[in-house]
Amino acid sequence: MTASSAAGGDSAAGSRSRIVDGPASRAAALWRKRRVLLLLVRRDLKVRYSDSILGYLWSILDPLLMGMIYWFVFTAIFRRSVGEDPYILFMLAGMLPFHWFQNAVNGAATAIKGERLVRSTALPREIWVLRLVFSKGMEYLFSLPVLAAFAIGYLHGVSWQIVLMIPAILIQTVLVTGLALLISALGALARDVDRVIRILMRFMFYATPIIYGLNDVVRNRHIPQFLRDIYAVNPMTGIIALYRSGFFPLEFHWHVVISSVIGSIVALAVGWWVFIRLEGTVLKEI
Amino acid sequence: MVAAAPEQADSTPIISVAGIGVEFDLQSRHRGMRELLIKGRAGRVTPRFWALRDVSFEVQAGESIGVVGRNGQGKSTLLKIVAGVMLPDEGSVTLRGGVAPLIELTGGFVPDLTARDNIYLAAGLHGMKRSVIDAKFDEIVDFAEIREFLDTPFRHFSSGMRVRLAFSVVSQLDEPILLVDEVLAVGDRAFRDKCYERIDEMLAERRTMFFVSHNARDLRRFCSRGLYLKGGRLIGDAPIREILKKYAQETDE
Repeated sequence: MTASSAAGGDSAAGSRSRIVDGPASRAAALWRKRRVLLLLVRRDLKVRYSDSILGYLWSILDPLLMGMIYWFVFTAIFRRSVGEDPYILFMLAGMLPFHWFQNAVNGAATAIKGERLVRSTALPREIWVLRLVFSKGMEYLFSLPVLAAFAIGYLHGVSWQIVLMIPAILIQTVLVTGLALLISALGALARDVDRVIRILMRFMFYATPIIYGLNDVVRNRHIPQFLRDIYAVNPMTGIIALYRSGFFPLEFHWHVVISSVIGSIVALAVGWWVFIRLEGTVLKEI
Repeated sequence: MVAAAPEQADSTPIISVAGIGVEFDLQSRHRGMRELLIKGRAGRVTPRFWALRDVSFEVQAGESIGVVGRNGQGKSTLLKIVAGVMLPDEGSVTLRGGVAPLIELTGGFVPDLTARDNIYLAAGLHGMKRSVIDAKFDEIVDFAEIREFLDTPFRHFSSGMRVRLAFSVVSQLDEPILLVDEVLAVGDRAFRDKCYERIDEMLAERRTMFFVSHNARDLRRFCSRGLYLKGGRLIGDAPIREILKKYAQETDE
């Protein structure tokens, strides 16, 4: 009768009403659709890398070029007193993951609004956000050989803390997912969200220890204590400290890492909650 | 003609729609950040209207339903609610089977990828397994008549070819519920006939169909039961002939 509604295989089976499902059943629905998510991420990477021979180069060119510019400005023009040596490695170790953060959060404003498939498929709506987070995350992973090349080129030693990159990636995934969920919902409802986010991201770039080190903030007595506290509250601060600690162990500070973990979990909880609350309205507006 | 009488149903319906309502803001579609942040829920005085209200019906497996009504009376909204791409503000929708949405057909296709890649992507997005796509690949290509363009990027396709390929992929989905919007109006005559034949085949497999159209002939051809929407309310639920007669009378007045 009801034909082959193989469990989980169908695209829209089930009950729907404004009484929204809890996070557990939404997570379960997402897990059932993991194959589709994988397909979407692969599609994004394919479009990004297969179309031009320079595909791979393009994806790393932006952070690499920015790195080169800062490296030139701060080593040749200014007398640099911040960060550690080799400065280019120090900077890229922070810039590459920030690039993931920035691209995913910027893209989130149009992740739902700009996706035509939202209007024709009943996939869990979180998929369009996760797909963005993961494909930008994959681009980050693909850029790691560049970092390795600089480390080898400078014969820079690596300590055991390099394994901290794994928790760093996990925490960053949680953080970026939470922010992207929040921004994708707001971006579908209000027209200037993407512009506001772009400005905020530029601000975040300088407000996070990327072109300088965490130690330049923590040990800087010219900065008032409340500003140093704000640095610690910024979840990207701790995440970048984790990424860097394999090459620069002194960058590791427990308090910023703990703050990152808490901040990222809060971001996911708030972002997802808003996303669920606004879902019905968003679907009407797009 | 089998009259659809939900009350007499002894088996579980494949679609149950219970008292659904969808409310829209009449104001400009997009608000600025300022309005979103400053205006709370309480101070909201924007005019609103119900695109659908108190709509309830049940559909048994194998039924084919034509949705009738003038423009802006809630037909597309109803289809979107059943497809699960819009959520009701009131009431609930329960589906006991997956949906093959023949609406917004070309949405899943990427302009920069080839037709071949796009077939795998679009079918995969709708939940088809790779092995199944492999098995149905030739059928999809032949139906769309695009074999010589398999390795051409999708952006070079004409709009007719795009719809052909998209219909060909989505109509291969093995879902028990079909939703058909007026998308097929795009194709040429020959292709439309082919699509209709395909829909006939699917109906013969006892699939359930939801069909939105202004074309009385198509409605009579495919549907046994009609739903008549007016001002967001369901004002008729009867065999399609009766519904079409009622609709014709009211629009002539």
